Amino acid sequence: MENKICKIKINEKLEDVHYLMEFENNFKENFLPGNFVHIKIENNFLRRPFSVCKVNKNSIIIIYKVVGEGTEKLSKKKKNEYIDVIAPCGNSFPLFKNKKIAIIGGGTGIAPLIFLSEKLKNNKNEIDFFYGVKNKRFIFFNILPVRINFIFSTEDGSFGKKGDIFDVFKNFKDNYDLIYASGPKELLKKVSSFSEKIPVYISLENYMACGMGLCYGCVVKIKQGDDWTYKRVCKDGPVFNAKEIIWD
Amino acid sequence: MGLKLLKTKLGKIELETPIIMASGTFGYGLEKVDFIDIKKIGAITTKTITFSPWKGNPQPRIYETYSGMINSIGLQNPGVFYFVKNILPEIRKKYKKVFVSITDKTEKKLLEIVKIISKEKVDAIELNLSCPNFEKKRKMISQDPDLTYKVIKMVKNETHIPLIAKISPNVTDIKEIAIACEKGGADILSLINTVKGLRIDFKKMKVIDGGLSGPCIKPIGLKCVYDVYKVVNIPIIGIGGIVKGMDALEYIMLGATAIGIGSGFFNNPNIIDDVYFTLIKYLKENRYETIENIIGLLNEKC
Repeated sequence: MENKICKIKINEKLEDVHYLMEFENNFKENFLPGNFVHIKIENNFLRRPFSVCKVNKNSIIIIYKVVGEGTEKLSKKKKNEYIDVIAPCGNSFPLFKNKKIAIIGGGTGIAPLIFLSEKLKNNKNEIDFFYGVKNKRFIFFNILPVRINFIFSTEDGSFGKKGDIFDVFKNFKDNYDLIYASGPKELLKKVSSFSEKIPVYISLENYMACGMGLCYGCVVKIKQGDDWTYKRVCKDGPVFNAKEIIWD
Repeated sequence: MGLKLLKTKLGKIELETPIIMASGTFGYGLEKVDFIDIKKIGAITTKTITFSPWKGNPQPRIYETYSGMINSIGLQNPGVFYFVKNILPEIRKKYKKVFVSITDKTEKKLLEIVKIISKEKVDAIELNLSCPNFEKKRKMISQDPDLTYKVIKMVKNETHIPLIAKISPNVTDIKEIAIACEKGGADILSLINTVKGLRIDFKKMKVIDGGLSGPCIKPIGLKCVYDVYKVVNIPIIGIGGIVKGMDALEYIMLGATAIGIGSGFFNNPNIIDDVYFTLIKYLKENRYETIENIIGLLNEKC
């Protein structure tokens, strides 16, 4: 984990309240799929965490949704301005070889899955990437990896299959060795039901304060023997084995 | 040169620098935070330890506010036995001085923790007197001067380790509490703990209650240190809203012998260096030989 000042290369609106930011990668440490960056917001006390979507040799890409004051301010940042970043934060997805894999993502939650799928496809895995959004406008084709089989769904049927991406996945008759997922809580809960049969790894979101495992502010209930304990999303996660999570 | 300038003494405890990591915002000091220079830290205060493991509060535990944050972590910790066996030895390896923060809900449990910690190599015990519902009294220990005196005296009789009393600013007169701490036998005072606050989460239509920290509470912390310094003769650790070097200097000039960095570290990860170099620069520019020359410079004892 390092703290760097990074120059913004791109900060543009993709659609509606969805943005893409590309900034200078001046970190010595390597980024792994699942890691997040913790970005300082000017004149706000706390940073905001964003999953890493893509890592190039000289740049890092995140995609984000403007949901409040912090992301609103971030969206106003211009090219060539600077941001204060703590990264790489959190754990990462376990990686496998020669497996048949389902990746399931909803909305901007697909960000870490894009990074993940790039890594996985190099390991001779067979991947079906299920990607669900509200409307065709929110499928960001430009950032999707090539040579991966995508199955799209939209709530209004404007592209791909109509309806919820989980239903599309469920009806897709295929046997997978494992599942990775990221996105809205409701989607993750449903995907977790498969963790009885096959490994399911999910990336969680949460409000965070420190982002470094120090304050215990961003916790999730995790099974521990017959009991449970609160684990930190920022340090023990954001990637968890779905089998261990207790959903409220 | 720098280290000599910043050496200070908290009672009998000799610190290389007056920079202390406050309790609760630095975990147990074991996370891999590569960008800080551990040599510049005078002492680390652990996250508060209780007798049995505490699960802590449900989510949400943190909220941002203007110039600060509200937390209600609920003192999540693995209990004193696990701490002593698995965590404390690691902290000892990494830091020169280790202060262990403790609390619990009954006198009996509190004394048990003190007995266990006293067998270990620990530089100070910090008694977190802001634990609510002590002995079902529906208030914090440090909201009652008599109870504060009684608890500190009881703990002091049980240990040879220097005792720090960490007190809450949520009282009518903090001087009264500080005097009770000193009379009870506290060796050092830590002030302030978080200030009670709340906000509304309109998305969930819920009231979020907790402890306020960050720059918004700095003036409250400064005023408490200013007032308390006048009426006690034990050293003070000034805590509350320190996010840059000059904030630390303010606390010291009002009477703090050392300063605690809390949630300010989340906002400014460079704060340790910032405090360190700001203090050295100030001392050199004004030709002071040691930081001890400026403790309470802008204050006086009654």
